[in-house]
Amino acid sequence: MAEQAIAAETMPETAVSVATDVEGKWFRRLLFIPTLGFLVMMTIFPLLYSLGVSLFNYTTGGEARFIGLGNYANLVTSPEFWMATRVTLEVTVIAVAIEVVLGILLGFALHQRVPGIGIFRLIIFLPMMLAPLVVGLFWRFLLDQTFGLIDYLITLIGFEPIPWLTHPRYALASVIIVDVWQWTPFVVLLVLAGLGTVPGDLLEAAALDRASAWMKFRHIYWPHLRFPLLLALLFRSIDTLKMFDVPFILTGGGPGNFTTTLSFLGYRYHFQFFQIGMAAAISWVVVIIINIVANIFVRVLTPKKPREQVDTGL
Amino acid sequence: MTAELTTTIKRGIALAVTILITLIFAFPLFWVVISSFKTRLDLFAIPPKWLFTPTLENYRGILASDFVRQFLNSLIIAAASTTISIILGSLTAYGFSRHNIRGSDFLLFWILSLRMLPVIAVVVPFYLLFRTLGLLDTHIALVLVYCIFNISFSVWVLKGFFDEIPLELEEAAMLDGYSPPQVFFRVSLPLARAGLATTAIFCLIQSLNEFLVALALTARAAETAPVGLAKLQTFLGTDWGRISAAATLFMLPVVIFTILVRNELIRGMSFGRMK
Repeated sequence: MAEQAIAAETMPETAVSVATDVEGKWFRRLLFIPTLGFLVMMTIFPLLYSLGVSLFNYTTGGEARFIGLGNYANLVTSPEFWMATRVTLEVTVIAVAIEVVLGILLGFALHQRVPGIGIFRLIIFLPMMLAPLVVGLFWRFLLDQTFGLIDYLITLIGFEPIPWLTHPRYALASVIIVDVWQWTPFVVLLVLAGLGTVPGDLLEAAALDRASAWMKFRHIYWPHLRFPLLLALLFRSIDTLKMFDVPFILTGGGPGNFTTTLSFLGYRYHFQFFQIGMAAAISWVVVIIINIVANIFVRVLTPKKPREQVDTGL
Repeated sequence: MTAELTTTIKRGIALAVTILITLIFAFPLFWVVISSFKTRLDLFAIPPKWLFTPTLENYRGILASDFVRQFLNSLIIAAASTTISIILGSLTAYGFSRHNIRGSDFLLFWILSLRMLPVIAVVVPFYLLFRTLGLLDTHIALVLVYCIFNISFSVWVLKGFFDEIPLELEEAAMLDGYSPPQVFFRVSLPLARAGLATTAIFCLIQSLNEFLVALALTARAAETAPVGLAKLQTFLGTDWGRISAAATLFMLPVVIFTILVRNELIRGMSFGRMK
């Protein structure tokens, strides 16, 4: 449509041919239809199916029996469901909080203009690029109680070795440590991106005025950090709420259920207990929690004034 | 003079702390790479050995195992899904950038929301769907599922890049008699090259790293490297030497990709607000 408007304005009338119009039409269809078609086909079925199956008492090999919200009722009364919910929320809140604080500090530190800082930025970005499963494996090796390096260093400075992966509290801490190690870099990345948008003359003016560090942070940096930090919070929260790989490989969800997240519990119901209806119900609880969190963030993220629209010529 | 000196010292300390923390972050990586060259005895030595005679035994072991096939599967699946996602993603991103259709905002948000979809919610139905279609444990199944996440990501990132291309360039091409498809393929697409490359690398990394879908939908033939690595830990006892070697090999492409996009990383995240 944009081109046609432009064409009509700028070209002599005879140049607007029917041929271009037809060509434009199939091209616009080509732009959207394959992608939207694919995405609708690939997501509508699984989601509807999973919603449907969550209303059935369905075990692999058995007969499906409609029980309405029975699975959800079972969940609400099951202690392991509440345990998993608690674990998921605890990991999310603690890990994301540490990541944001550490990320801001490191972000400012790595923003300094020093020759050679680029290499350290590159190093800090590596953890978030690795597969969470591989990262979980690394840390399982490092945190091992008998031969792991971390416990060796701890005994070196005179403390008792810590049963990282086998003690309920420490196991949860281990999952958090691994998440912080892998994802603080993501917050650093967003902070660096935000700092990169701060205009230089503003800083020079502040330096001339001898503004205090806090004043500079509050009035110059903060307006440029707000949006990237909210984005970081949004993505980190969503990802930790659906966390699966790290507990799977690091602790196996144990000891007991102390590091079993909701996604992991859903996986167990399907692939270990073969209770597909229950597994689907759990995954819908995850969908609902993530939707609530995402909606809150998106509402905060969307500016009050009308959004800047890209001028498409319409 | 003294004030200047204190600032210099302060900055020096800040820098030293920064470098120290960065190195702490890098250390686990370093340790795994080191461990991949250790013999079984050196690996479990207490105190841990910093100096040792390196061995390639772990690599020999891993290269003779199923891991090579799994690694290849990972690369094939990641490449296929990235190619499809970049083609469909760039078309649609351009569409959203230039041809507003009805409900654009809603559609765009829906596409992004697919990226947030918990994998666990779709893994069960996909398992059943692919079982019915006879596609369990095939490359196709994983490629299709990864395309959902990668297309969503591509549309969002590439739209930003197309938005940055000045309309005047396209108008000039129209005046030269280019049709809309010609404008896209000959003018806009080449201009978005940097965006295409960055997006492609992110799609590759994400597909290489994915675990839960691969674990659920593959058994042997289409098993990917992360699944293979996970099984290495469960079934072979725990051969940490081999695991370190496999992890090091598996990290290589990702590290190379990261080095390639390092400059685009920060700029990409500022959504074009940084000039």
